[in-house]
Amino acid sequence: MKESYGVTLPNMRVNDLVGKLIVIEGTDGVGRSTQITLLKDWLEERGHAVLNTGLSRSGLVGKGIKRAKEGHTLGRITLNLFYATDFADRLEHEIVPALRAGFVVLTDRYIYSLMVRAMIRGLDMEWIRNVYSFALKPDAVFYLRIGVDELIPRVVFSRGFDYWESGMDIHSTEDMYESFRRYQSALLEQFDKLAEEYKFKVIDANPEPRKIFEKLRAGIARVVEGEPAKSAQIAEGTVPFNPESRPAEAEAPKEKAETPLVAKPRGESSSTPVPPAEPAAVPVRDGD
Amino acid sequence: MKRYGDHRFPGRLFIVEGIDGSGKSTQLMLLHRWLRSEGYGVVFSEWNSSMVVKDTTKRGKKRKLLTPATFCLIHATDFADRMERNIIPLLKAGAIVLCDRYIYTAFARDVARGLDRAWVRDLYSFAVKPTVAFYFQVPLEVSMERLHGARAGFKFYEAGLDLGLSEDPDESFRVFQGRILEEYEQMVPEYGLTVIDATQPIEAQQEQMRQVVISKLEKAKQLRVAP
Repeated sequence: MKESYGVTLPNMRVNDLVGKLIVIEGTDGVGRSTQITLLKDWLEERGHAVLNTGLSRSGLVGKGIKRAKEGHTLGRITLNLFYATDFADRLEHEIVPALRAGFVVLTDRYIYSLMVRAMIRGLDMEWIRNVYSFALKPDAVFYLRIGVDELIPRVVFSRGFDYWESGMDIHSTEDMYESFRRYQSALLEQFDKLAEEYKFKVIDANPEPRKIFEKLRAGIARVVEGEPAKSAQIAEGTVPFNPESRPAEAEAPKEKAETPLVAKPRGESSSTPVPPAEPAAVPVRDGD
Repeated sequence: MKRYGDHRFPGRLFIVEGIDGSGKSTQLMLLHRWLRSEGYGVVFSEWNSSMVVKDTTKRGKKRKLLTPATFCLIHATDFADRMERNIIPLLKAGAIVLCDRYIYTAFARDVARGLDRAWVRDLYSFAVKPTVAFYFQVPLEVSMERLHGARAGFKFYEAGLDLGLSEDPDESFRVFQGRILEEYEQMVPEYGLTVIDATQPIEAQQEQMRQVVISKLEKAKQLRVAP
């Protein structure tokens, strides 16, 4: 049974959504799309119909966002709401119909990426949470986690720095490298907070893609097929999130991440309108 | 991030609200003329006017791609763009800003389309609280009559035809606008809207409006840009 994080949108029936909603989250350049391609093939081979979707791809808003970003002209609240519109369009027109038809929906990022971007641009956490409270709770969120020092070579040696991925809209420095580093460190820090709150399955994104794929596969098999997990796979597949266990390299840029550009979300108390996520629906081992 | 009621600016923000055919746009136009003739720096900000978001909204409406949720969110996006890049800078600069429709229009319309009342209010909580929000109160029959005299047929979303309330555009419009009217009435005490009886003669309404506006400008002589 699916439910939203808070409000239910008009005309959205959620009681007959039989498919599985699986989110792959992670920062820019961490290898999400590679994994999703592999996962789709694998799931289809196993007989599951798969819908593969991602951010800013909706028929309604996708183009508008792209154009607006080319001009670098949107305010932070506006940009966030533009993304929210895009997300709502995809939720209503792609995700929900696919779930109703029994598909496995693999989504390349979800509201969490949008929330993190808004958080580091200084928007209120409570407000952000409320905006996205119409989102469906996924069956599982797999977070591909990487430190900023491992991330930088991947990005630089593949496609170079991107204006938005470097947070150039919020950092006044002209140095793309410096800006990228600060921006991505701030993103990772916020992701870690959400990982705890929304019970992400954290996967270390440092190993080679094949290794990461194996871990994802083990986790997803349990969500989709409810396979009795072999204990070895559990231990390897999904690491319970522990902020202390971050890779040592990720500590390095910490000072920079704590510049005033990083908003302290206020009121992270239990009085927030959206309750934190239930633990994702990976079955608990009950004496197998 | 400042929320509704948190902002402090030297400028003034006057807005008008009411159902279609309430005469609010005429009244705002007259107020605009008067303020200008008095030498105030006054700027008009229209609903749905942000350049960046406009194309998306237009496309969505034309192709009927919008659901109640995306209709709501795309308008919120558009409004945010106007707020961040137009209204707030103008108010900081000390201008008098006039808006034909404001967040209350969105509250009324979106709730009439079935969205959660509290959710929509929080969504728009980044908006600046107006100095005065005028609500032009008019019975549905009167507004319908005025609209029928003025133009042929209602637009798709304006008549709430996306909701499937009725096949007949007139009937759909009546039901939808009726819901909107109920929402407005709730907001009068909730947001302290200044009610103007829109069945009065145009001149009488304008006189009332100007009295209210003057009282808010007394301490703002510096807002005059010309003698």
